[in-house]
Amino acid sequence: MNSVVSKRRPPIARFLSTELLRRYGIFLFLVLLVAVSGVLSPTFLRADNVVNMLVQFAPLGIVVIGQVFVILVGGLDLSVASVMATAAVIATAFDGTNASAPAIFGATFVMCLCAGLLNGLLVTKRQVSPFLATFATAVVLQGIRFAYTQGSPSGNVPPLFHTMGTGTLGGAPVSVLMLAVCAVVFGVLLHLSTFGRRVYMVGGNAESARLVGVSPDLVRIVCYVISALLAGVAGLALSGYVGIVDNWVGRGFELDSIVAAVMGGLALSGGRGSLPGGLAGAAILVIVFNIVLLIGMPVQAQIIVKGVIIIGASACYVTRRLR
Amino acid sequence: MSGQQTVAPATNEGPIRDRIEVLQVTKRFPGVKSLDAVSFGVRAGEIHALVGENGAGKSTLMKVMAGAYLPDEGEIRFDGQPVQWKSAADAKRRGIHVIYQELVLFPQSSVAENIFAGAEPRSRFGTVDHRQMNGLAQTLLAELGVQLDPRERVGNLSVADQQMVEIAKAMAAETRVLVLDEPTAVIAGKEVQLLFERLRVLRDKGVAIIYISHRLEEIFALCDRVTVMKDGRKVGTQPVSETTRDGLVRMMVGREMNEIYPPKASLPNDTPTLLAVEGLQVGKRVFDASLAVRAGEIVGLAGMVGSGRTELASGIFGAMRAVRGTIEVRGTRRKRMTPNAAIRLGLGFVTEDRKSQGLLMYLNVAQNVTATTLKRVSRFGLLRAGAERDAGALAIKEYGIAGARPGGGVATLSGGNQQKVLISRWVRVCDSVLILDEPTRGVDVGAKAEIYRVMRQLTARGLGILMISSELQEVIGMSDRVLVMREGRIAGEVSGAQMTEHDIMRLATGAQLQPHGGEHAFAS
Amino acid sequence: MLSPASSNGNLFKHHIAPNGAAYAVGALLLVLLFAGAYVSDRFATLPNLLNVHQQATGLAMVALGQTVAILTGGIDLSVGSLISVTATLTSGLADNPYGGWGTAIAAVLVLSIAVGLANGFLVLWLRVHPLIVTLGMGAVLQGAILYYSTGPAGNVPDGFDSLAYGRYAGIPVTATLVVLLYFAVSFFMRHFNLGRYVYMVGDDEHAATLTGIPRARVILFVYAFSAVCAGLTGIYLAAQFGSGQPYLGANYTLASITPVVVGGTVLSGGRGGVIGTLIGVYLLSLLNNLINFAGIPSHYQLVIQGAAIIVAVSVNLQRKRVSA
Repeated sequence: MNSVVSKRRPPIARFLSTELLRRYGIFLFLVLLVAVSGVLSPTFLRADNVVNMLVQFAPLGIVVIGQVFVILVGGLDLSVASVMATAAVIATAFDGTNASAPAIFGATFVMCLCAGLLNGLLVTKRQVSPFLATFATAVVLQGIRFAYTQGSPSGNVPPLFHTMGTGTLGGAPVSVLMLAVCAVVFGVLLHLSTFGRRVYMVGGNAESARLVGVSPDLVRIVCYVISALLAGVAGLALSGYVGIVDNWVGRGFELDSIVAAVMGGLALSGGRGSLPGGLAGAAILVIVFNIVLLIGMPVQAQIIVKGVIIIGASACYVTRRLR
Repeated sequence: MSGQQTVAPATNEGPIRDRIEVLQVTKRFPGVKSLDAVSFGVRAGEIHALVGENGAGKSTLMKVMAGAYLPDEGEIRFDGQPVQWKSAADAKRRGIHVIYQELVLFPQSSVAENIFAGAEPRSRFGTVDHRQMNGLAQTLLAELGVQLDPRERVGNLSVADQQMVEIAKAMAAETRVLVLDEPTAVIAGKEVQLLFERLRVLRDKGVAIIYISHRLEEIFALCDRVTVMKDGRKVGTQPVSETTRDGLVRMMVGREMNEIYPPKASLPNDTPTLLAVEGLQVGKRVFDASLAVRAGEIVGLAGMVGSGRTELASGIFGAMRAVRGTIEVRGTRRKRMTPNAAIRLGLGFVTEDRKSQGLLMYLNVAQNVTATTLKRVSRFGLLRAGAERDAGALAIKEYGIAGARPGGGVATLSGGNQQKVLISRWVRVCDSVLILDEPTRGVDVGAKAEIYRVMRQLTARGLGILMISSELQEVIGMSDRVLVMREGRIAGEVSGAQMTEHDIMRLATGAQLQPHGGEHAFAS
Repeated sequence: MLSPASSNGNLFKHHIAPNGAAYAVGALLLVLLFAGAYVSDRFATLPNLLNVHQQATGLAMVALGQTVAILTGGIDLSVGSLISVTATLTSGLADNPYGGWGTAIAAVLVLSIAVGLANGFLVLWLRVHPLIVTLGMGAVLQGAILYYSTGPAGNVPDGFDSLAYGRYAGIPVTATLVVLLYFAVSFFMRHFNLGRYVYMVGDDEHAATLTGIPRARVILFVYAFSAVCAGLTGIYLAAQFGSGQPYLGANYTLASITPVVVGGTVLSGGRGGVIGTLIGVYLLSLLNNLINFAGIPSHYQLVIQGAAIIVAVSVNLQRKRVSA
């Protein structure tokens, strides 16, 4: 073993760096945050505010699910925002009636598949770093998008998507239901299925995984495709929310989703973290945005608070080197 | 520390005094006494072996001596003066240098830059003086008898040469006490010989050298005195000339060496062949290799490091691509093998490097054990936690993996236990031939015996085993037949009465060796 | 000069091979020049090339600092916000009564160093990934500057714009100074201890600590240096646009990383160098310029840029490291 100095760290630091904290700490933090927010502002826990937060949480949550898969295999997906925006543009590309919905879904599916495959192939077959590969994909999609809209977007979103973005079903916002479905489906996939186990194997040690018959390349490509598909879904939902064409739908989601994941316990090196953790991280971001608004914090302070929380929450997962 | 290459010569007048010693040192960790009143000393100008099972306390003792750990009781003396190390860097400055198995080098930097990292010679203007640095490095390397271009990138060097760079680093720092932890784990044969020569050079300059190794043959070939540790206590210190191998093993485990090898198999002539390899060529490392493994037998694969044994095994299993040849398992013949296909055909492969190529360090014991058999612990693609846990518990019981729980981590297990986890993983899925690459590397003698027992249990069930090993004793003790590789080809096969170290070495090196007494022959 | 592995001797083996990527990108640059000359006869003319040289200054300046940070295996995502901050403060404080724009610039540089050191401290002390630390810091900076001003702030004094537009015998002064700075930094990385240590920390951080290399000093240095480069970029942009505003640097963060990677520096650190980045900067700038000349509508520019990045990294000659 190569561990050199074995100075004893203060007990609080040792607790903070245990595996337990990595797994459950974020939920404790979330509960704490909700409690504190409730105290700071009475409107926080009001039904309409909660619904508002949930509607904001839904698209981010969907994207985070995909990002969790990619980060678990040791990668990063910076193209999600661009995929979302492209999906939103596709939603307005047809005649604006519900009859074109299948076409929209189809086209979005194809686009997401291509984006995910491009990301996955660049990273696995050409050994491009994920940061760069997905960034390049984002730029390419952005270019295609701009070229199509000629810089000035036009067109309408079919009513179906309006419902997706703003409607409710049995009292719950449709977008939130979509998130719930995705969370359950992909949560089961990641944590209970053999494919999910393979994801953790590849992320933890790709070479060991290969020697037990798992294909790291295939698993990674699938993860990038999952991320792109989920970003597409989120983009379609958001397009309904916004209603008109916007080249910048989802702006900032790429970094936000990564930050949410890291705050939720995902290690950027791969192999560690969970889906609920990632969603909890996203919830924290949304709550923080909401509460600073409610207590009347000016925009500038909001941004600063975001920065501090990002660093602070991530600092809780410091682990000793595993050597 | 700024480039002087010679070390203080030994002073041999008067009573022999230890260069460094620890007296009655005790070190406790939560729940265990790692060192129990250990007194140990090394003289200037000697090579002192330190042996013992894993967990005997060798590493802890070295860390205490080198300042990485603070002893709870006892004292450290350097040249007779009591010292207290504030940190590892502190001890390093006083001249204690440890070379671990994991080499501490910068692959992108040159040999000279690595040797003088942190202490580069400066020019008048404060810049790094590359010419002086290269020159000094050249001199150091020459003193060691090493032919290396000081400007070469360390990442391009072989492991053996990288080790030389580490030793040169120690020399550059005016090391007085040099500790080598399992230095021959990744080198063998001629490279080991060279390492020994260079260590002797250092010894003659007065450096106190502590040599930790599981390979008893090396201790007899190289060292002056040997200290045995067991369960955190020092069992004894003797001059090597007054020790026998059996005596050493008895001190280490309380058991005779030949008791640890189970009886061999004698197979009838019509035993089915499970694995037949024909004309295999793997990359540039293996040419025209053919072999067969029958049910119930252990075939040993011996040869020097670099002879292509691991590549051959990788090629058979599909971990590396074979460009030519066929592999036939239980009658199914294939030209292209992949790990997936190999597993389906019932092959298993326990790799050399269990940490980076075998174990999944972030997963727990049960998850590691079931890594090859996900289908069996799942239904409709969903994993069943109960089935997984049971598989883990079963493995722990069957293989005697002490101190492990199905939900526990694998990183903290001892080498022997880690190896057992890997073997249990493959045994679950392997029903033809299990390939083992250095199955007992870094495993203490007690666990070795258990692994050997498991191997014979498997063959009794009808499996075949292909075992790669660099420990000749192990190869001879365990194999029913031995294939010897040399430079990518199978040079020959020995069995029965011809299975001697002498004969195997002859095939492995292609040279005639003088027959030695068993004590001084080398591992291949 | 580039990825230092040796000083003299066998030219190919010790100098060209380790820096293969930079030479490959250099070759691409030449190809681009020839292609451009073919497409438009105004492309390969001196006035045009000098223009490109001048316009690349901002990107070159920030990418210089980013390269050094990336060489340690880290990254600095706060540069965009820092550029906004320094540009806005430079113009906003330019007419202060304590010494005018001279003091403003000095203050801004001191602030940059402080920010860089803060980044470094957080990376060292909290042991959080630099991506997260600098991202958070960037947010903090962005919020902070919005307190100072929500729009363009002040004006740079007359004559200040010569910083951006000044020429001497037709050659853009600042742009050329930046290029010289690149060579100076390259020399530093090669021949001074601290420079070598940057590579070593990026190569193997664990080995660096064990070998007694002052890792803390290295980390503090690279983030301080990156911040100073961002600060200088902000000052330059203030001069270029006449005044700074709080979102000025927003695009520069990700834009500063592209030339670094295209130029052969690996995101995991330890390999590459600033000269590669310089070539990357010019490659991307010339590509943009060429796209303009080819009359391709700006909407397609992004597609081409993205595709160009993909091509450039796919043909990376250096030994690739397997990543996820």
